[in-house]
Amino acid sequence: MEQPALEGIKVLDFGWALVGSLTGKHLADNGAKVIRVESSTRIDLSRTNRMVKISSGNNPDDKPWYTHLNTSKLGLALNLKNPRAKSIITKLIQWADVINENFTPGTLNKLGIDYNFAKTIKPDIIMLSSSAYGQTGPMAYEWGVDGTGLAMSGYLDQTGWPDRMPVGANAPFGDVVLPYINALAIVAALDYKRRNGKGQYIDTSMVEVCIHSNTPSLLDFQANNHFRSRNGNRIDYASPHGAFPCKGDDRWCTIAVFNETEWHAFCRVIGNPAWTKDTRFADMKSRKQNEDELENLISQWTSQYTDYEVMYKMQTAGVPAGVIQTMADIVDRDPQLREREFLLPIKNPELGIFGHPTPAYKLTKTKARIGHAPSMGEHTEYVCINILGLSDEEFVELMRENVFE
Amino acid sequence: MAIFESLLSGYRALDLTNEKGFVCGKILAALGVETIKVEPPGGDPARNIPPFLNGKPEINGSLYWLAYNTDKRSITLSLELERGRALFKKLVTQCDFIIESFEPRYLDSIGLGYTTLTKINPRIILTSITSFGQKGPYSGFKGSELVVSAMSGIMSTNGDPDRPPLREGPDTVYFESNAAAALGTVMAHYVREKTGEGQQVDVSMQEVAVKRPSSNLLVWEFDKRLIKRAGTVRTVGARSTRWIWECKDGYIFWSFMGGKPGAQGNRAMSKWIDDDGIENPMRAITNWEEFDMAAQDVSKDLLDAQQEAISQLFSRHTKKEITEEGLKRGLNACAVNNTSDILENRQLKARDYWVNINSPETHNPLCYPKYFFLSNQTENFVGSAAPVAGEYNSVIYRDELKLTDREISDMEASGVI
Repeated sequence: MEQPALEGIKVLDFGWALVGSLTGKHLADNGAKVIRVESSTRIDLSRTNRMVKISSGNNPDDKPWYTHLNTSKLGLALNLKNPRAKSIITKLIQWADVINENFTPGTLNKLGIDYNFAKTIKPDIIMLSSSAYGQTGPMAYEWGVDGTGLAMSGYLDQTGWPDRMPVGANAPFGDVVLPYINALAIVAALDYKRRNGKGQYIDTSMVEVCIHSNTPSLLDFQANNHFRSRNGNRIDYASPHGAFPCKGDDRWCTIAVFNETEWHAFCRVIGNPAWTKDTRFADMKSRKQNEDELENLISQWTSQYTDYEVMYKMQTAGVPAGVIQTMADIVDRDPQLREREFLLPIKNPELGIFGHPTPAYKLTKTKARIGHAPSMGEHTEYVCINILGLSDEEFVELMRENVFE
Repeated sequence: MAIFESLLSGYRALDLTNEKGFVCGKILAALGVETIKVEPPGGDPARNIPPFLNGKPEINGSLYWLAYNTDKRSITLSLELERGRALFKKLVTQCDFIIESFEPRYLDSIGLGYTTLTKINPRIILTSITSFGQKGPYSGFKGSELVVSAMSGIMSTNGDPDRPPLREGPDTVYFESNAAAALGTVMAHYVREKTGEGQQVDVSMQEVAVKRPSSNLLVWEFDKRLIKRAGTVRTVGARSTRWIWECKDGYIFWSFMGGKPGAQGNRAMSKWIDDDGIENPMRAITNWEEFDMAAQDVSKDLLDAQQEAISQLFSRHTKKEITEEGLKRGLNACAVNNTSDILENRQLKARDYWVNINSPETHNPLCYPKYFFLSNQTENFVGSAAPVAGEYNSVIYRDELKLTDREISDMEASGVI
């Protein structure tokens, strides 16, 4: 199977920020032809992000985060607010199988290019809108970011130490999970259309998807009136279960013991010291009751070794354990991720060669096809003339009217 | 117009997963795939995961299990026994997907690896969800939510600086990996319907999770700088600002950001601080759109003073006041919801997000999230309770595979089903 999974599928992509960009990326990396519509008059968040020194204040094309999020797409610069842009949009809808967008709900309606309009041009179009709260309801028009999903879904309430304020990882969650659901809905809708001939309008909400990750706690509250709250690294069905200090500066290894077989293996690894025979640690229930002490004793042992030594000793004995890896460990050394080619080196004219994320779900026969992320308006002329069939004169006229800015 | 079809109605999946792979099948089942859990006789060991109904550890009372196996059927079948495997192979001829989360090479070791399955049914899609992936130096490692969260770089950025790094509250790694697995499965399905050929989908939870902090990865790759755990402060670019705040009766999420993304909220915040009569260092900024936190002339003292005023404002008000008044003012602050707040949320109610589901074990129906997305032509809803172990045995073994009562009771006696 030489062709990527979505070869032949055409996507009109208004996606931006994280959710929209990543939704389009899933489709593009798998072979769909994705035309990313963007405008320098309303520039994408990731094109202004200056978290690394190489990124300047005014060049939209020197942001590595933007390129991470937008591989394999074609770039069309189009000012949607210019009245003459609508003729281009109409042609794009005629061309497309799928429309992806994540503007604040109501935006496309104001521009006169929402689903109802698209449907009149292409009755079997598949269109997906995603937003923080969904397209309907009293909060629909409110703006939301990744943290909105964390706060609303209970993630924040349950992340942290029991005696401290909630905290959260410096890594997006809903912004990355939602695009998987979005792309899944789109591909399933393509399959449905293949069988039934019908298109579909799909409405996704980041908050709603995040809440699914907390369903057990929701049931626990309803059935048992029990509030699950912050509990550090501990969980109810494993002990020890935590991060233990190792040799070096701020180095840690996690260990997770779920049953008595793993506990006995763990005890052997640490040399069966006398305390492991103590009745306080004899079974899971006792270990849970004496977890402070247990963790202190384990920390004394782990502190004598490096984090990787602890991990290998435990794993060799069949005990789940993993180093708290930093990005240096991951990018420079992790042999497993390297074997999976989790990053693909791609050359960027402004930034040089660096790794771009590949799909983490590996189809073993159908390969992904990952190309560079487009610079602002890189394919404007190609899209207008070669794909949409504009004449050179028409293209130049629209360009003079600042449609492509 | 009555709508009753789902996007993937008419397909069947065999779901062999433990807790690492529940959600993939849950999603497919909501999309209409007939999803049959194949449990060892006696039930899936993951039925022992708490919390439990009424706090009692019982085989059908795991709320964790109930949460993530909605809309599935259940049969019991021992894959460890030759007769069980023979039955399983019959089922493979009549299904479209197999989802599994065993350790890599386990299915091979019992003669049910992909190469065997594809001979039985070349259209089969085998989705394998593991901690590190099917191949490679860590593929034999034992993983879990905690271990994979550590190995993927998530934990190194979570927690208070003066304490060990932290796991996230919900099982985010399992959840995200299963969303990725469901996408891979449907993608492979789309290919199969074109070419007639199935394939294996290899999902590594570590690889899925490591792609969340992709910006931290870039900060290391380009600047050799590490983003570390910073408690209620978030590191964006050169500056760090608060994003979690204490209020009168709980906590608030509100990102203090510069530039256009933060402008509306910052103006609203400054106005509210004034209205509350708190000394207001936010007044020093006249053009919030141009306020660049990374700029040299924005002093740390000014940012600290502004955050102190914001902190004071939040501490004077309740979650409800901050959410409602904040909406009117355009502040866009969000309450840190507990489980009760989530169930009471008016937006979710207005969207008909919840569905009441009765199950034999619960006396009263429990409320579950009803959908992963909405669609105008199809219904892709969570609708029925997670199954009791083996409740579908007679349908599959008697009605479909045409086994006699005698054969069935014989297999029950010998521990096959």
